[in-house]
Amino acid sequence: MRTHWRDHGWQLIHDAPQPPLLHMALDEALTDEVAAGRRPPTLRVWEWASPAVVIGRFQSLRNEVDGEAARRHGIEVVRRISGGGAMFIEPGNTITYSIYAPASLVEGLSFQESYALMDAWVIAALGELGIRAWYQPLNDIASDAGKIGGAAQTRRGGAVLHHVTMAYDIDAAKMLEVLRIGREKLSDKGTRSAAKRVDPLRSQTGLPREAVIARMVDTFRRRHGLADDALRPGELARAQALAQHKFGTAPWLADVP
Amino acid sequence: MHGEYKMPGGKLVVVDLDVRDGRLAHVRLSGDFFLEPDEALRAIDRALEGQPADTGEHALAEAVRRGLPADTLMYGISPEAVAVAVHRALRPETA
Repeated sequence: MRTHWRDHGWQLIHDAPQPPLLHMALDEALTDEVAAGRRPPTLRVWEWASPAVVIGRFQSLRNEVDGEAARRHGIEVVRRISGGGAMFIEPGNTITYSIYAPASLVEGLSFQESYALMDAWVIAALGELGIRAWYQPLNDIASDAGKIGGAAQTRRGGAVLHHVTMAYDIDAAKMLEVLRIGREKLSDKGTRSAAKRVDPLRSQTGLPREAVIARMVDTFRRRHGLADDALRPGELARAQALAQHKFGTAPWLADVP
Repeated sequence: MHGEYKMPGGKLVVVDLDVRDGRLAHVRLSGDFFLEPDEALRAIDRALEGQPADTGEHALAEAVRRGLPADTLMYGISPEAVAVAVHRALRPETA
């Protein structure tokens, strides 16, 4: 049976900065914990310990990333478990979070309805910050001034993972050095350059990043309920093992070469 | 050879391939689409492998459709979009 946000006891995890590989692993481990019923539905806010390019599950490593430029800038390249496009991350420049929900929350919904449902609270939060934003199919969060962020969803067992990265600030020149963004990708966007496609939250809100996150968490708490939680030792151990034996290995990173 | 296609309102669908003895070889699909289960990606590669290089788009799309696991979910990609990307890889001058 379909459930609703308030049917669940939502938990918040907001840890100190963690390395990119551990973030990839935590998404898999926590989705599986929620699927198994061992963890209540959870909102996890990410803090990045170091810069990264995160490519989607089905993206070609070679086609998406200029490996030489990434090395030159000390940027780690990692692959996540969900589809979607590459993200360019520098600590402090993005706001990233994951929602780990039981599949019942999106049961019977189309992909599009399910993205809209999962993004609704953050659209409301942005509205309270004075930004008129909306979910733009297939998986963007957009505003009058341009794209703010993107979501990716994947369903695993009895759970759905919905994670979002929003641009807070961005070094567009560096991003374009590291990511290969082709003309075909931009063909139906009606814009001339990739840099112009993103308008970050910093310029739109004038608020520090921490304040934007605090306001977002408040909005989630008010709409859906939210209790403060932390990673359990077993969850962290499982994620560290996944980071080492799966996400940190060449076969996973180059699974789509 | 390399072909890219973004369906209107969809995601980027990329195909890299070779042609050997008139047939598709080393076919590799990639892109920023959403596809479940994970194995569907390789299933599509396998469905295209060995197809005659002069196969029409409609027949290629049908081959992809037949090769998909029964419970496959696609978002931002379709068998037709894959077929267009294959054709663009084979005939870059028409892309």
